[in-house]
Amino acid sequence: PPQVVPGADPSARQLCFEWGPAEVLVCETRFGRRDPGPDPIPSQSWTLTGCVADTVGTAPGSSRVFVVRRDQDIYIQTLRKLFNESHGIFMGLQRSEEELAGKSRKAQLVQVSKNYRSVIRACMEDMHQAAVSTRDPALQGQYSTQVSILSAMELIWNLCEILFVEAAAAGPLLLRLLDWVRLHVCDVDSMVREVLSSESPSKHKLFWNVVDVFVLQGRMDEARHLLSKEATANPTSMNMYKILDDLMKKMPMPSLANTQTLTELELKWQHWHEECQRFLQDGTFASNPHMESICKILLGDEDAILEKKELMTTWYHFLVTRLLYSHPTVKPMELRFYVQSSMDMFLGGESSPEPLDMILMAAFEFEMHQVIKECSIVLSNWWFVAHLTDLLDHCKLLQSHNLYFGSNMREFLLLEYASGLFSHHSLWQLGVDYFDHCPEYGRVYLELHIERIPLSTEQKALKVLRICEQRQMHEQVRSICKIMAMKALRNNRLGSALSWSIRAKDAAFATLISDRFLKDYCERGCFSDLDLIDNLGPSMLLSDRLTFLGKYREFHRLYGEKRFPEAARLLLTLMTAHIAPCSFWMTLLTDALPLLEQKEIIFSAEQTYELMRCLEDLTAGNVDKQKLQEDDVETTKVEMLRLALARNLARVIVKEGTVEGS
Amino acid sequence: QVSVINTVDTSHEDMIHDAQMDYYGTRLATCSSDRSVKIFDVRNGGQILIADLRGHEGPVWQVAWAHPMYGNILASCSYDRKVIIWKEENGTWEKTYEYTGHDSSVNSVCWAPHDYGLILACGSSDGAISLLSYTGDGQWEVKKISNAHTIGCNAVSWAPAVVPGSLIEQPSGQKPNYVKRFASGGCDNLVKIWKEEDSQWKEEQKLEAHSDWVRDVAWAPSIGLPTSTIASCSQDGRVFIWTYDDASGNSWSPKLLHKFNDVVWHVSWSITANILAVSGGDNKVTLWKESVDGLWACISDVNKGQGGVSAVPEGQQNEQ
Repeated sequence: PPQVVPGADPSARQLCFEWGPAEVLVCETRFGRRDPGPDPIPSQSWTLTGCVADTVGTAPGSSRVFVVRRDQDIYIQTLRKLFNESHGIFMGLQRSEEELAGKSRKAQLVQVSKNYRSVIRACMEDMHQAAVSTRDPALQGQYSTQVSILSAMELIWNLCEILFVEAAAAGPLLLRLLDWVRLHVCDVDSMVREVLSSESPSKHKLFWNVVDVFVLQGRMDEARHLLSKEATANPTSMNMYKILDDLMKKMPMPSLANTQTLTELELKWQHWHEECQRFLQDGTFASNPHMESICKILLGDEDAILEKKELMTTWYHFLVTRLLYSHPTVKPMELRFYVQSSMDMFLGGESSPEPLDMILMAAFEFEMHQVIKECSIVLSNWWFVAHLTDLLDHCKLLQSHNLYFGSNMREFLLLEYASGLFSHHSLWQLGVDYFDHCPEYGRVYLELHIERIPLSTEQKALKVLRICEQRQMHEQVRSICKIMAMKALRNNRLGSALSWSIRAKDAAFATLISDRFLKDYCERGCFSDLDLIDNLGPSMLLSDRLTFLGKYREFHRLYGEKRFPEAARLLLTLMTAHIAPCSFWMTLLTDALPLLEQKEIIFSAEQTYELMRCLEDLTAGNVDKQKLQEDDVETTKVEMLRLALARNLARVIVKEGTVEGS
Repeated sequence: QVSVINTVDTSHEDMIHDAQMDYYGTRLATCSSDRSVKIFDVRNGGQILIADLRGHEGPVWQVAWAHPMYGNILASCSYDRKVIIWKEENGTWEKTYEYTGHDSSVNSVCWAPHDYGLILACGSSDGAISLLSYTGDGQWEVKKISNAHTIGCNAVSWAPAVVPGSLIEQPSGQKPNYVKRFASGGCDNLVKIWKEEDSQWKEEQKLEAHSDWVRDVAWAPSIGLPTSTIASCSQDGRVFIWTYDDASGNSWSPKLLHKFNDVVWHVSWSITANILAVSGGDNKVTLWKESVDGLWACISDVNKGQGGVSAVPEGQQNEQ
């Protein structure tokens, strides 16, 4: 069905759609309001006035924008564990040794599968607790729904583990399926408990139901145990009981220990089956319908088994019971022959199969791709299919099927899953790792997504940066640094802006910020962020202005440390080597004044001549002499400088002309 | 499965024509026939009005956010023939530049990839496309392509920045040689591709397939393949996907996505370009995805069950 945006009124208006980084926007609008141009063509005959008339008297609600989002699951707190822990399992799997072959590799993969399942179960437990402890019926409903979804996921995964990952062979296959049924059909558990804990179980009205449950699930020992209680309570049926008990005891079952071949098992089973048949036909159990029914079940009588529908509750339970009592040595590839009929017989045309049923059926038929496809449709997020497919891919199962998809399917699903994680404020970090393990498009998807993470704090920005730097994503690094620099500048944090632009290797920006620093200095007479400027090191070379800033600060430091000759030399170099912008020369020359006025002679003759030349260059360059003359402060400064320079020159000539020591 | 996580009541007094999330999804800009542009802070499901920008004298058709590295900048275009660029300075939003070089309604604005600098393309009903480039210090340089489309230009969309051929990391500080391109759609039923050569914009290709006015064009983001993809939609109810394959020669080949029963107004790509959203006159938005075998399938379930179109992301036509 089409997604309906609640509240939007499609009859009156059209829907406009726009993508956001994680969300999408839907708003009501009316297209077709555009002016067709100076000469309207009759066929396109809306003019603006027509449109305005339409929208006058707009119904309320037309001014809303709906922010819509897919993948709600990542925002459910209780599922957080699922995402975090499965991430750990996923990473472990990617890094696991591929050199392990055969049995040990399979055991490893089965363990991974079990780990995933235990995470699902843990989440189910948490969700269940949440459902039980909340008072809000709406929330309770949500949690309960989640529990059923998780339960279904675990059911499917477990079956896939048995059939695909472990690839149980005939014999053990049935045992595994029995375990699977016992684990997942829990509706009867409370009844079982009730009967077992009653004082006199055999007198309980549900006694035979429980016996039947045990038999249906192949739990022979437990069935026999209960039956023995009935026998002691009812001595008249002792004979019957002994025979039935014996049959149940002798029933040949596959074992995991490989103590017999399939052929041996089949032979034994055939004999046993015939024996049961004889007893039934002899009328041994005729006087006790319960026991007779059990014997029929042992013989695999479908009608007898189907009579106990309510105790089995699902068609797949029926399937496994059927197999247990008619074909315990069933081979994996033979399962498909029983599936459709089991479903049909069980549902009996009363109800139709649900999505879960279709998925399980596809699994029994070894249609892996069908399983994945159906799960993708039914489940509301990609978590399940992404991780399951990845595991199946590691089992090298996807490649032998339908080569066209092969590992592309794995990557496709992982990309979808990881993309979804990126809209979450902290789970996005998990997404990074998933993209890393998508060889074809992982990197570019990461590049596109990581740029959209809001850099709300400096820590977050650094975190994102580290990720980009580790992966040599230079464009993204530059981009992020530029964004942070711009942000810092807007907030007047010049030091921060400067260090970001250095990291971004953005010369233009560095120049801009250096200018700001210099401007600040001129206005306030001191520098901010001295630490940063003092420790620029080689990054000073990023831009000329930055170099000047660094060197100028160095000049101030030298002066502060009274290392006047060095300071003087630096000052001069700043101008002669054109490191300083012309606009700053006046300031530099003014800085030279105190050096010129020192008792000690600091500037040599040559240096003084240089300074003079600089001053003349500066004033000569000022074409508008009138302007200069009008500005008294400027004129005075220039005069003072000329005087100081001249005086220094005089002193220096004398000093340099004098022979040392005399 | 989607959920509405926020309903922003914009209080626009008239029809909204465009709504755009900023780069990070933290701010929402809307524009309307009521001549205003509004900006909301929509973090954490909230909706705080940050700015109500007045300056246009007619319905505002589109807004576009610039890349955050340039600051918080928004462009808007309107029936009043103006393009206004707004900037947030010291916490307040102000008009930073106004362009009045068009002779009629400006229908579409689109910012170029940030790698090129701050450049805005504008398409107008006067048939021209202007390119406004920020040159620094509050100055903008204008280049105009007159008569880009006869009768009028309805949409502009930039190609993603891709350095031609070279996969080698450029030494830092050096500007790579980008080839700038964008697509436009107009009332001449054409989609055109424009390329910058020697600082001049030239028409590189004409894409003909529509039989009526092209209403929107959208150039898909790049995922590193040597192909380029453009979606175009038109008055004629058709949506085409144009693909340019570097390997197979110099031409664009169209594929019909679908023929709708009504005008299709708007097409837009998701960030990783794997889903195309189509907004049509039939009151629906449909989402389309390309499967591995190159077929486009509708994934929003609207067409489920019709004509073999699969509702599954990975088209399984081959599995039969």
